[in-house]
Amino acid sequence: MLTRLLLYLFILGIGALIGFKGHLSENLASKLNFIQNSCLLFLLFIMGIRIGVDEKVLSSFFKLGYQALIMSIFAVLFSVLGVKLVKGYILKGISSQKNHQTKDMNKEVTSHEL
Amino acid sequence: MSFNIIASVVFGIGFGHFVLSSEILQHTDLIIDIGLCLLLFFVGLDMGRNKDAFSQIKKMGLKILFIPFMIAVGSIIGSIIGGFLLHLPINESSAVGAGFGWYTLSAMMLTQYSPELSALAFISNVVREIIALISIPFIAKYVGDFEAIAPAGATAMDTTLPIISNATNSQTAIVSFITGVILSSSVPILVPILINL
Repeated sequence: MLTRLLLYLFILGIGALIGFKGHLSENLASKLNFIQNSCLLFLLFIMGIRIGVDEKVLSSFFKLGYQALIMSIFAVLFSVLGVKLVKGYILKGISSQKNHQTKDMNKEVTSHEL
Repeated sequence: MSFNIIASVVFGIGFGHFVLSSEILQHTDLIIDIGLCLLLFFVGLDMGRNKDAFSQIKKMGLKILFIPFMIAVGSIIGSIIGGFLLHLPINESSAVGAGFGWYTLSAMMLTQYSPELSALAFISNVVREIIALISIPFIAKYVGDFEAIAPAGATAMDTTLPIISNATNSQTAIVSFITGVILSSSVPILVPILINL
């Protein structure tokens, strides 16, 4: 896990450094959101394939799906509520942070692309 | 975007089930790794371009640790309640919830205790990831940015990070990564503790 974590940190760091230094051409920057979304949808498609191709996962999904759905819905619901409870405290004193106001500029410009 | 996310996963499941054979599984690992690294690079680019994000995180300080803490507490409490409805003992339901979406590890850790519970942990956490993929854009839009990290759990540092970054902002993406690291690290600690309660 540590190797993987370091790899992710390294890749994020390289990306952040390039973005921070402004080495990105305007043309590429404006297409960034579209490229990102396309990669994301492709990755999700592959993740879907992994679920669909594995008979064991599918058969246990049909057998345990109902129980799994109840367990995970409650887990998600309560974790969202948990974060909601502490969000006010975390953001206390940070005036400029408002939901969706700090969206990256490129997202606002190109969000229509997908 | 939410529709595209759902459509991609569903189309992938259908394509995998009806068209491809299971031999493709060994190749998908590599494709996912490459795709994930590429996406993380783009997330990094976004973070770097939004110069305010890091200073905002700095202002929040250690308070951001409340996010993974509350996600952990909420996931475990939620699973206990879900387990109560399904007549599962508290130690089993809480251990399943403590997988935080990391299905391979939580299932592996519970194999020795009970293969049935291991299967439930696996599927529950797969379902959690699917719920996360679908719900993150909605939660980000209608509830809030930080709340959108919650469904992701341990996957907030990798598979669902690009979706969180896409649906929210760079600041939330950084918090998401930190949250994912903390939750992933706590899975191998919490699952054995909870199952032995």
